[in-house]
Amino acid sequence: MEVEQKPNDLSTQKFPLPVDSEHKATVFRVHSFAPPHMRAFHISWISFFSCFVSTFAAPPLLPIIRDNLNLTSTDIGNAGIAAVSGAIFARVAMGTACDLFGPRLASSSLILLTAPAVFCSSISNSPVSFLLVRFFTGFSLATFVSTQFWMSSMFTARVVGTANGLAGGWGNLGGGATQLIMPLVFSVIRDIGATKFTAWRIAFFIPALFQTLSAYAVFFLGQDMPDGNYSKLHKSGERHKDNFPQVLYHAVTNYRGWILALTYGYCFGVELTVDNIIAQYFYDRFNVNLRTAGMIAASFGLANIFSRPGGGILSDAVAKRFGMRGRLWTLWMVQTIGGLLCVLLGKVGSLGASVAVMLVFSIFCQAACGLTFGVVPFVSRRSLGIISGMTGGGGNVGAVLTQVILFRGSRFSTETGITLMGIMILCCSLPIWLIYFPQWGGMFHGPSSKGTTEEEYYMSEWSSTERNKGFHQASMKFADNSRSERGKRVESAPAPVDQGTPSPDV
Amino acid sequence: MARAALLVSSILLSCLVATSYGATFSSLMRTLVVTASPAAGQVVKSGEDKITVSWSYNNTFARGTDSTYKTIKVKLCYAPISQVDRAWRKTVDDLSKDKTCQFNIVTKPYNPSNNNTFTWTVERDTPTATYFVRAYAYNSAEEEVGFGQTTDSHKTTNLFEVHAISGRHTSLDIASICFSAFSVVSLFGFFFIEKRKAKASQQK
Repeated sequence: MEVEQKPNDLSTQKFPLPVDSEHKATVFRVHSFAPPHMRAFHISWISFFSCFVSTFAAPPLLPIIRDNLNLTSTDIGNAGIAAVSGAIFARVAMGTACDLFGPRLASSSLILLTAPAVFCSSISNSPVSFLLVRFFTGFSLATFVSTQFWMSSMFTARVVGTANGLAGGWGNLGGGATQLIMPLVFSVIRDIGATKFTAWRIAFFIPALFQTLSAYAVFFLGQDMPDGNYSKLHKSGERHKDNFPQVLYHAVTNYRGWILALTYGYCFGVELTVDNIIAQYFYDRFNVNLRTAGMIAASFGLANIFSRPGGGILSDAVAKRFGMRGRLWTLWMVQTIGGLLCVLLGKVGSLGASVAVMLVFSIFCQAACGLTFGVVPFVSRRSLGIISGMTGGGGNVGAVLTQVILFRGSRFSTETGITLMGIMILCCSLPIWLIYFPQWGGMFHGPSSKGTTEEEYYMSEWSSTERNKGFHQASMKFADNSRSERGKRVESAPAPVDQGTPSPDV
Repeated sequence: MARAALLVSSILLSCLVATSYGATFSSLMRTLVVTASPAAGQVVKSGEDKITVSWSYNNTFARGTDSTYKTIKVKLCYAPISQVDRAWRKTVDDLSKDKTCQFNIVTKPYNPSNNNTFTWTVERDTPTATYFVRAYAYNSAEEEVGFGQTTDSHKTTNLFEVHAISGRHTSLDIASICFSAFSVVSLFGFFFIEKRKAKASQQK
């Protein structure tokens, strides 16, 4: 039941949405399910959502699981770290897999290969087996990269920010929804007659089945590109394969990618950490019952429905007036305010105040995630996939570091850990000050006085041999489109009239 | 004006009383003698085995110390070894925050005689851990006013273990493994379909 457009009849193809010359959709209609563009959007965010539900299915049930498996605080902390550490490498690898096999096959494979880990959560019976199932389930969070890659293949630059922000945000919702779903499923099963220690095991079948079904939907209903699937397009020669070592080199040597990986670790990484610890925190500190703790914890993740997309939209809005400098300033300010709120969250002692502070903190934390991916697409054009994967992976590194230092064992009480996490956010957001684009400027400096242009920045990723062969043309198109990052005040160099690029026919 | 001052001060006073409520464990006297059937180090199976607890008033204390006792609650409490690195089982002196004793065995009206006993089947959702038994005496305002326990004051002697059910069932195990295998097999099925389609379109 695949929807395919014949690659040869390009002139007579009809798409339900208006498209550009690459057949990427130029508008984003969230209510539509029209193939291939909007259908790809809905399939990708739903499958990413299911992966988040599975990865964070254990935390809301920990008060039961910890007694059943005789876990200590150290065991729980280690399992939480394991849950987010697998995806560090997996996210970087996923970027490459999307390049080679297409997002449809890459993501459905990953989702189906991690589903057994979720099914086998039901049969874990020790701290070690619990850690292993959480570790392997966490690999599925790499679907973030395939989601962003897929949206970038289906939507033009003007709407790709919205598409990416919504797909990422609504997928992250899973981390919140699971805190509601799992306690609910657990209590239904227990009321039917199972004991506590059996009910939680049966409950895990729900996210596992959901994940499996979403993988089937991706495979049967999805399509890699507007014109068809990779396997067909590669064979017909329409897609040219880039040189992987060169792509990797240009990603790794771009310092901005590393800075964004670090700062993403302190907005998205913090979000993952909070997903892991917050239900237990409310259950233990304020003595609410499991369902209530789940509801409070859920509201943190559920804010993603508008806060992360809001961050993306805010980034685009600020860029209209102030360009890239505006994007960087807004990112730093929002993330810093998030850090201050996190410090406060650990200090407030009453339930009502805690919930209120947590909600405001969630909005700023998740908006910072959306704002980060307002900057990422401009760091590199040639190595966009790997830079996105590095940033995404950096998010998970932040989650691992934070949980190792602050939330493992009994060294710090959870509330002290939360305050210290806020301080870490404040410190690790400072490197944003160092990000500088010669053609647009940075937070504290304007664009370079040498008059560097967008073309020069993106062309520097290609060697002269490659330029002679004309491989850099897509980057040139992108450079032209990115001139809007100068903002309304034109301080940077005027647009080049004639670049003097060698003609492709040598 | 005077009435307002009186109102404010009485509110403040009641707040003070409210915050100072919360009996502390260190203020309680060990006026009850409690024994439980498991021997030191014995392993008890949850859902199957029974524990018999008995409690009585310790007559060596002055007469009238138990005049306020109204009810007795006997509880199953975690031994220190089961509290290590588990903040949700922590012993805190403020009894309203204390999490040592989380399982209620029985609640009975207070009777100073010697023949208070109760036989309890260990509940199926009792976790695997090391325990002792403690009884609290409550007054009519539901405040703790006395206690007794089967172990010494350092909670090191006369402890017993409970082995819990695992919660696993063979049917669950089989279902998990079958579904897992099915996911992986269906993935290889997809690759096969994909290859066939690509070959078919090449031949066109």
